[in-house]
Amino acid sequence: MKIYLNKMLKVTRITGLAIASLLILARCTDKFLDVPPQGQQKAEQFFVSESDATKAVNAIYANLRSWTNTAFAPIAIESVGSDDAEKGSDPSDATFMNDYDNFTVTSTQGQLSDFWNGQYQNINLCNQVLDNVPSINMDATLKARYLAEAKFVRAYSYFRLVRAFGDVPLRLTTPVNTSDYNIPRTPKAAVYAAIEQDLTDAAAVLPQSYTGASVGRATKGAALALHAKVSMYLGNWTDVKTYTDLVMGMGYSLYSDFGNLFRIANENCSESIFEIQCSLVLGNSAASSSQYSQVQGVRSVTGGGWGFNVPTQSLADAFETGDPRRDATIIFRGETTTAGDAIPATVPNPMYNEKSYVPFSLFVSGYNEGCQQNVRVIRYADVLLMNAEANNELGNTVPALASLELVRARARAGNNAILPKVVTTDKDALRTAIWNERRVELAMEFDRYFDVIRQGRAATVFGPKGWKANKNEVWPIPQSEIDLSVGVLTQNPGY
Amino acid sequence: MKKLFLVFISLLCFIQINAQQVVTGKVSDNNNSPLPGVSVQVQGTTRGTFSDMNGVYSISASRTDTLVFSMVGMITQKISIGAQSVINLKLNSQNAVLGEVVVVGYGTQKKLEVTGAVTQVKGDEITKQPSINPISALQGKVAGVQITNGGAPGSSPEIRIRGVGTVYGNANPLYVVDGVWYDDISFLNNADIESINILKDASSESIYGIRAANGVVLISTKKGARNTLPVVTYNGYFGNQVVTNQIKMADGPSFATLINELDAINGVTPRYASPASYGTTNWYRQILGNALTTNHQLSIAGGGEKSTYNLSIGYLMQQGIVKTNKFDRYTAKFQNDFQVSSFLKLGYSLTGSMNNSTDIDGGIFHQLYAATPICPVYYADGTYGDPMDFNVGSSTTFNPQVTIDYYNQKSINYRLTGNLFGDLQLGKHLLFHTSFGTDFGQNEVTNYLPQYTATLTQRNSISQLTVSRGENRNWLVENTLTYDNQFGDHDVKVLLGQSAQSYKYYWLTATAKDVPNGSNGDHYLTLGDPASLYVNDAGSLNTVASYFGRINYAFRSKYLLTASLRADGSSKFTGSNRWGVFPSVGAGWVISQEDFMKGQNLFNTLKLRGSWGKIGNMSVPANLSVLTVNSSYVYTGGDGSTAAGASITTIVPPVTYWERGVGTDIGLEAALLNSRLTAEIDYYNRKTEKAIFDIPILGSLGTSGSSIVGNQATFQNQGMEFLVTWKNTASTDFSYSLSANLAINTNKVLEVSTGAIPIYQAVGTTGSNNYNTRTVIGEPIGEFYGLQVIGIFQNVGEINAYKNSKGTVIQSTAVPGDFKYRDVNDDGVIDDKDRVVLGNPNPKFTYGFNSTWNFKAFDLTLDFQGVAGVQIYDANLGLRYGTENFTQDFWLNRWHGDGTSNTYPSANIGGGLNYRSNSFYVENGSYFRVRNAQLGYTIPSSITDKIKISKIRVYLNAQNALNLFKYRGFSPEIGGGPTRAGVDVNVYPLYATYTFGVNVTF
Repeated sequence: MKIYLNKMLKVTRITGLAIASLLILARCTDKFLDVPPQGQQKAEQFFVSESDATKAVNAIYANLRSWTNTAFAPIAIESVGSDDAEKGSDPSDATFMNDYDNFTVTSTQGQLSDFWNGQYQNINLCNQVLDNVPSINMDATLKARYLAEAKFVRAYSYFRLVRAFGDVPLRLTTPVNTSDYNIPRTPKAAVYAAIEQDLTDAAAVLPQSYTGASVGRATKGAALALHAKVSMYLGNWTDVKTYTDLVMGMGYSLYSDFGNLFRIANENCSESIFEIQCSLVLGNSAASSSQYSQVQGVRSVTGGGWGFNVPTQSLADAFETGDPRRDATIIFRGETTTAGDAIPATVPNPMYNEKSYVPFSLFVSGYNEGCQQNVRVIRYADVLLMNAEANNELGNTVPALASLELVRARARAGNNAILPKVVTTDKDALRTAIWNERRVELAMEFDRYFDVIRQGRAATVFGPKGWKANKNEVWPIPQSEIDLSVGVLTQNPGY
Repeated sequence: MKKLFLVFISLLCFIQINAQQVVTGKVSDNNNSPLPGVSVQVQGTTRGTFSDMNGVYSISASRTDTLVFSMVGMITQKISIGAQSVINLKLNSQNAVLGEVVVVGYGTQKKLEVTGAVTQVKGDEITKQPSINPISALQGKVAGVQITNGGAPGSSPEIRIRGVGTVYGNANPLYVVDGVWYDDISFLNNADIESINILKDASSESIYGIRAANGVVLISTKKGARNTLPVVTYNGYFGNQVVTNQIKMADGPSFATLINELDAINGVTPRYASPASYGTTNWYRQILGNALTTNHQLSIAGGGEKSTYNLSIGYLMQQGIVKTNKFDRYTAKFQNDFQVSSFLKLGYSLTGSMNNSTDIDGGIFHQLYAATPICPVYYADGTYGDPMDFNVGSSTTFNPQVTIDYYNQKSINYRLTGNLFGDLQLGKHLLFHTSFGTDFGQNEVTNYLPQYTATLTQRNSISQLTVSRGENRNWLVENTLTYDNQFGDHDVKVLLGQSAQSYKYYWLTATAKDVPNGSNGDHYLTLGDPASLYVNDAGSLNTVASYFGRINYAFRSKYLLTASLRADGSSKFTGSNRWGVFPSVGAGWVISQEDFMKGQNLFNTLKLRGSWGKIGNMSVPANLSVLTVNSSYVYTGGDGSTAAGASITTIVPPVTYWERGVGTDIGLEAALLNSRLTAEIDYYNRKTEKAIFDIPILGSLGTSGSSIVGNQATFQNQGMEFLVTWKNTASTDFSYSLSANLAINTNKVLEVSTGAIPIYQAVGTTGSNNYNTRTVIGEPIGEFYGLQVIGIFQNVGEINAYKNSKGTVIQSTAVPGDFKYRDVNDDGVIDDKDRVVLGNPNPKFTYGFNSTWNFKAFDLTLDFQGVAGVQIYDANLGLRYGTENFTQDFWLNRWHGDGTSNTYPSANIGGGLNYRSNSFYVENGSYFRVRNAQLGYTIPSSITDKIKISKIRVYLNAQNALNLFKYRGFSPEIGGGPTRAGVDVNVYPLYATYTFGVNVTF
């Protein structure tokens, strides 16, 4: 018995020792197996300092020059549907683009989801800032400005979405639970209300201007001007007038030389209200990523581009005789540009977009052609024309004519033989004049397509191309999105 | 080197002879050829000798002794002396299948006692083939092992064991070389390999738990044998690689005509006024050429009483069939082991390899396909021909000659691998084995893009230097305890083990612009423009800890049982999901050992076996459930400055856990007719459960990628394997062996967390969302998917007449010459809803026929191999942006007017809706080829004896000389990742290799 007990004790001791050593081993093993992600910061360590807030806001701007924000998707969704632009390029290259021009697009086509995803990526980046920056201990003024910048871009992105698709899922925070992932479409009116709220908040905080590296960030003027545009789409003419009046009192002015307004040297000039900043930084392909000019550049020449989104003959014919903006808007095959580039007569398309054109000499091999060209989102000329339209709608003919004249006078550039002053006081005639002015002044700036729909005459203007009322006011919701929502998202009528 | 060599020689020990009685005899092989160098040892002593040049030996031993005859590659025989004073015997080659010893996880086992599916391929079969990577030589040799050779010099083949076992991870198997784990074994010289053993079923793989899901390839390298005189061998070949099955492209006039036809369809003026006036540049002929290859391996192996050694050095050179492409590899291998005392053995093996290559632009093969044939390589004045002078579209403005002339990239890889081991014999039955293995690698790539102007578009205004350095530091420690004993009829083997592994990789790359180019000495980043300097790095580290055990039990070698359990913890997973437990069991019944089988003469052996096991897959991305920051954003300010941008742009699953395979295998092995006929049949069913899968998520979540990666799918590979071998020694002068193998595999997705929503991929197609592969429940992984072509519209009337049931014109925007697609859902439009399954890139059948014939001094090897029941998506045909060239086949068969073709479209194949993924692009991918043909001649010993050389064999070899396939592209061997496989867009052309080689044993 004693021996047995001794044995038991021995066994217990050995077992104890074994368990203890196993525990030590297990702890060592756990330590050995604890390897943090390599070369990636853990999310829980982010959003703690002012520098993190800065980076997160910077990311919003960086994403604005992404492929889905500035290249094929906007061409499909916001440009070729209009009477001003068509696919361009070699006839057999990217033929799917014709479906957006002819309104034969079906819900599975790729640019729909590209555009959708690109805008929602902006929105996520904004929501990350709006959700996480408030709790960061940092300079209060800067924090408020960062939040306002995020609200501006969020509003801009929702505006692009609501114009393109109508009702869309409205996400104003990042999803917390999996139940937040799949949400239905929010009625258009509520989306617009959220946009207006963001813009009101942003305009109250944003500064009028920046210096140095911050030039290009959202300003008060940008928030007001965008608010004016949103109000115009809603038909709230009093708001349009209010906001444009405010912007007109902020010191912006039209740049005198329309022909050179779109060249690199005149980026962020006195006329600029919001531009997406693009650069060519040698050795830094991530900074030099914009393809905005590349996809629209003159095809088949070095330093040109792919030749998509080209002006139509209809646009070329829309300019009044002698309007210098025609030549400043369209590169004609065979011409020599003012920057000195001879465009061969053999290039595949008769016309290219001159507003996105970057002189070929600035091309650096290994980088996207024209990657240094800023994307002009809102110009002061647009604000003036919105102001003219609002005043006209509200019956204030005199200020309406005055604003319109500012735009025409700049285009005229002192040559009184062209572009006579508009003097009509007839509301309808003046409206038509303003609409025509919008077309030629803002041509090839991704404004025309939705502008005509807003004006309510798309069936007349785009009808011959296949546009149908009660269907083509909006594009189809991407089918992949509807499939993934398992029926939570519905399709737009007619698709 | 010389010193080292002397040290090893001095380790050879003398053999003590203790005279008692002299036994003599002659050892020969199955063909009655004398076997020199056979070790003859008195069992249980250190006394031994070798057979001489004529196979004759002489040894002193007592009547009660047993002699052990052994030689590498031969089955060891033991003979009790008794009254005999002359013992002549034949040693059988280990190839006598079921008697052979195979390598299994952490040990060796008689093939007869294995309960899983294990196939062994001998080193000499591999050495016979002129391949850079030993795995390439297995093509067609092993049922159920599908090998896709890449073709580029130095490239590693893709290998799939019993189908695709993972989607998101690395689908290649685990390689274990002398106990050390690798992802790639391109550092091995074929001639250094003793054997390759492939573990195909889940139960035998299971002991390698974490990395076994895609199969395990165990490789033993050659080692010296105890008590053998130094054997010096030389294996070498040189030869020529010749492009085969070259695609014929349209010639100049045909090209010009086709482009004119394209212009006419597009409504523009045809650009070439007189197509017949153009000449033709055959770009393939210009850029591709015959390429040399050579390989030399010299080794010395042997052993003393208490040590063995094997030294080998090798050099391999392979030129690419693209003229500027070249690959050189130097290898050196050292192996030593020492019996330090009766209970302790220490040893190591070490392989150093260095390879350098002159690389080519990866896009060259598509360029050759698309290049403008009417543009000359050079103009009369010696300048480069410029396609821009021939009015081509902007996507084909390149002259491929310029592309390769100005591509300047050199890569160097250094790799040091090896292991150090100790065996401690604890009593008679217990062995403790410890091993430390490493894999250290360094990879250096230098790319210099000079400033140059070759043509209007092929020019570069600022030079650029890119320097990359990658390094990996992997190690593995393993400790095992093996107990091996016999209790009467019971054979018991127990293995317990523990291991720890660490895999570390770091990569740094930097570029600078405006770097001078006076000489290679100028290629330093500091000489460039400092403002342009750009540096990037990346790395990975993962660790694994494991515990494992296995029991093998055999009753009278009749009933076999194997059970194993392995627990692995990986740093790639966190919390309670970190550890995975992988059990397995296997059972075997050697029917031929049963009493009731005693009376029959038909079966020499007959065995039924079955096994089940779970295995894990660690080759998946690390830390999938850890949310990280995306710091790829760069803010650009209005003043041209840049600043960092970062945010959270992903959604991660709350947890991720081990992807696991569960497999069942049932096999029957038989040897009949004096073991001349052997056969092996296997049925298997392997499921990959909770596979790491990339599934699409709602775009409105705004993530930077449109998918979430997690454990979200289950799929299955199910199939049969057959292997039949007939070996016969018809006479002393003639023997032969014939072997056939066939594997049938079906791959099927059983479950995806997206439910019925497919996962699409667009591989090598133009246009957005032009998906050509699909992965969905109930179907194979990555099947081809697209529209169904039912003809070609001959005229406008046909287009207008093509209506759905409601009378809607279905393809109103089509023009004559366009594909007529089936309106599957009868809704009057052709869109993505009309897509159907077009094919399967996963081969249904893989097979091989292998034969060897020996007649007197001649030997002939003929190996055939093929795949069937597989499709290829020829993306080259539709990958058009403008004036890409067409194939001659397309030119001859195209639609070019009413009634000209109802299968091939017009030259506008890249336009309209023609470019959409459709059935025209999907072709039969089956092929059959003479994989290897070798004729060898062994110079008679009467001659070689005079020059004191024991064996000289010379041979001529042809690899891939004859390839039969219907596919319209270059090569039916396409490969590609699991959901992107089988799409031909830029495939390395197929070539045959003709070599002359020598094997010399001194």
